[in-house]
Amino acid sequence: MSSWTITKWELKNTLHNRKFILIFFLQLVVLLMMVLFFSSFMEGIESEEGISLTPSLNQFASLDIYDPQNILINQLNPEILEINSNKIDIALNRLEGGDVTGVLILPSSDDFNLEEIKPVPVNLYIDYEDPKRSVIKDEVSTAQNKASSLISERWINDLTPQQEVSQPQIQEETQGEALPLQLINKVMTAVLLFLPLFLFGNLIVDSIVGEKERKTGEILIAMPLSRSNIILGKSMAVIITMALQVALWMVLMILAGYSIENPGLVYLIVVTTALPIVGLTSIIAAFSKNYKEAGIGITFAYVAIIGFLIVPALAYISQQGRYVSASTMTLAIKVFSGEPLSPGDIIVPFTSLLLISLISYYISIWLFKRDDIVFGPRPGILRLLFEFATLNKVVNYFKK
Amino acid sequence: MKLLALFKKEAKDILSNKIYLLVVFVQLLIILGAYGLAITSSVVTDPELLDEWGGSATIKVGLPQNLQGSPLEESLKNQDLTLMYFPDVETGLKEVGREVVALVYISNEEGDIGLQIDNTNVFYPVARDKINTALDYYQLEEILSSRRLSTEEINIIQNPLDINEIKINKESASPLALDSSYFVEIMYGFIVPFILLLPFFLASNIVTDSVVGEKERKTFEVLLMTPLSGPMVIAGKILPILLFSLIQSGAWIMLLYFLQVPVYNPLLLMVLLFFVGLGFIGMGVLISMLVDSTKEANSAVTLLLFFATFVLFLPLFMNIPALSGILNTIPTVIIVRMSSGPYLNPLWILEFLPSVFVSLAIFALSIFYFKQEGAIRL
Repeated sequence: MSSWTITKWELKNTLHNRKFILIFFLQLVVLLMMVLFFSSFMEGIESEEGISLTPSLNQFASLDIYDPQNILINQLNPEILEINSNKIDIALNRLEGGDVTGVLILPSSDDFNLEEIKPVPVNLYIDYEDPKRSVIKDEVSTAQNKASSLISERWINDLTPQQEVSQPQIQEETQGEALPLQLINKVMTAVLLFLPLFLFGNLIVDSIVGEKERKTGEILIAMPLSRSNIILGKSMAVIITMALQVALWMVLMILAGYSIENPGLVYLIVVTTALPIVGLTSIIAAFSKNYKEAGIGITFAYVAIIGFLIVPALAYISQQGRYVSASTMTLAIKVFSGEPLSPGDIIVPFTSLLLISLISYYISIWLFKRDDIVFGPRPGILRLLFEFATLNKVVNYFKK
Repeated sequence: MKLLALFKKEAKDILSNKIYLLVVFVQLLIILGAYGLAITSSVVTDPELLDEWGGSATIKVGLPQNLQGSPLEESLKNQDLTLMYFPDVETGLKEVGREVVALVYISNEEGDIGLQIDNTNVFYPVARDKINTALDYYQLEEILSSRRLSTEEINIIQNPLDINEIKINKESASPLALDSSYFVEIMYGFIVPFILLLPFFLASNIVTDSVVGEKERKTFEVLLMTPLSGPMVIAGKILPILLFSLIQSGAWIMLLYFLQVPVYNPLLLMVLLFFVGLGFIGMGVLISMLVDSTKEANSAVTLLLFFATFVLFLPLFMNIPALSGILNTIPTVIIVRMSSGPYLNPLWILEFLPSVFVSLAIFALSIFYFKQEGAIRL
């Protein structure tokens, strides 16, 4: 018997489980939903002012305005502000009653002639009891800049005939993709690609901790099969399931219009990342007494792994790839964006992947080989660390 | 009395479970992390705050050496930008995205201005804002300097609107950690509803743990045989969980107050959260009735939370006027409105109704399935 036999058993069990199949396909539905919502989200964050990651906040703050000469009213953003045109006394009463956060009062044509070069007196009443006051101030300030440009232009044209005005023109050129867009396009695509690797922790826990809880571990160990083959066989079955889900996931993403260059290579990177993740999950599963304990362990381990993958990717996006990253997520971003790769870009993440995989499988096999871990009573973590570092042998040597 | 006994037992189970207490602690870390992130991103994207916090000096803008001492250089300096000089435009352009975030230069003999700016820089929004303000002033000054205008007239043309801010209720001003529109928008528009709903995400897990745990330990049948009706058993199981979640949300509201992000209308928010929680917990009971093991329940709850995240949080980032009637009834949208101001529009309470109906329907369905499951088992 080899580890492949265990892999086949585990796969057969998993794929014959109707509830698993249902959840497997529901995960694909979730992805489809994420893709659909993601597209509408992308449309939502692109505005005239550029890319913004703030919530859409439809008519978040309210402002009453008295602007008989239409100086400012057309420059205010009706998407953020609920704008009501009202008479001064009504507007001020509404402010007092808490119906609005701000009131903007501009002069009528009887009080002020816009043709004269004189500052236009504007009164802005803001209710400081309302935290949305900063939104009102900011929106009014933006509208003020727009209106000021128009008024200045009008006054300048009145001062000088248009043909004589020689105004230096500004030619603005931007380079590179906007940071928020990169974060969404690249990091979100990478997160979607790597997500299946974190959805099958339960499988590993069930196949290792489940044996302990169901008391079938003894039978498994009594079989003509080494314990390392059991761990490797079970891990392989989960990696194959993950690989299948990643493949379906990628097909869906490509069909939904995601731009993924070098899909074969990207697939390989994501699937090889599954090796250390399953290895680390196996350590937790081998050590845990029950599902609950494994659940906590996996939660913390996955937070750490996600951090290890995503933080260098974010650093890469903000630093524009000045440094080589140990995270395979960064490598995947570079590959699916079609960016040039240096040898370091490939060697460093794959070396760390290999090292973590070797260490994690070694530890999980070492734990699973110990009867006290599998059948109990389980030693404490410190004692295990002590023994793992073979310090106990050194102590015993000196005792002798 | 029997219901109270079940209630006490479940409450004791929750409070003695180290995992749940750990998750509460994790929530605290999430809240502090989100708050820190909101503060940092507000400072990074707001020119005034960046000036206040002394960050503007880190924005380096390049100029060719021949512009040293020019009015253009003066305009840029007035914006508190750090200027770096390059022997020529070509050398400067190569450094955009490396040493400097942007290069400003005269692009032709007519005196037009070229601006090459690095879109990928973290400070891009502030840098662009400051450079454009400087260039606008420069443009105007170039036009006005040739006319025989007084400094006062130039100032008026440059700033034609004289806004006089009148502060109302200044004495009882809302204490805000940062008086920045971005901070207010991101905190009240996303982070506050997220924080208030966090405990209910945990609640659906606790309820499946509690009910499926009974099934796995084979004590579910014993529970069904107690002299308690189906709805009473469910009430005894879910009320402590609902209370535990509401207490957490209340605690987070207080924490936010201490972090100077006051959450308004807390009592009404609690009423809304009660119904939202009932929906989450009802879904948890439904899942528990449909599965046989904790493993299956965990997978199903993960999927439920995925769906819930989409339904509750995506509307906050969507702007579809045709759907505004429906979107306004989404609990997170109501939370944004109610929590962000001291005043309350009574119409918002009417918008609770769809959430109340949905939650009650889910809860009724969970009781129905609970009775069916009970009938099968006994």
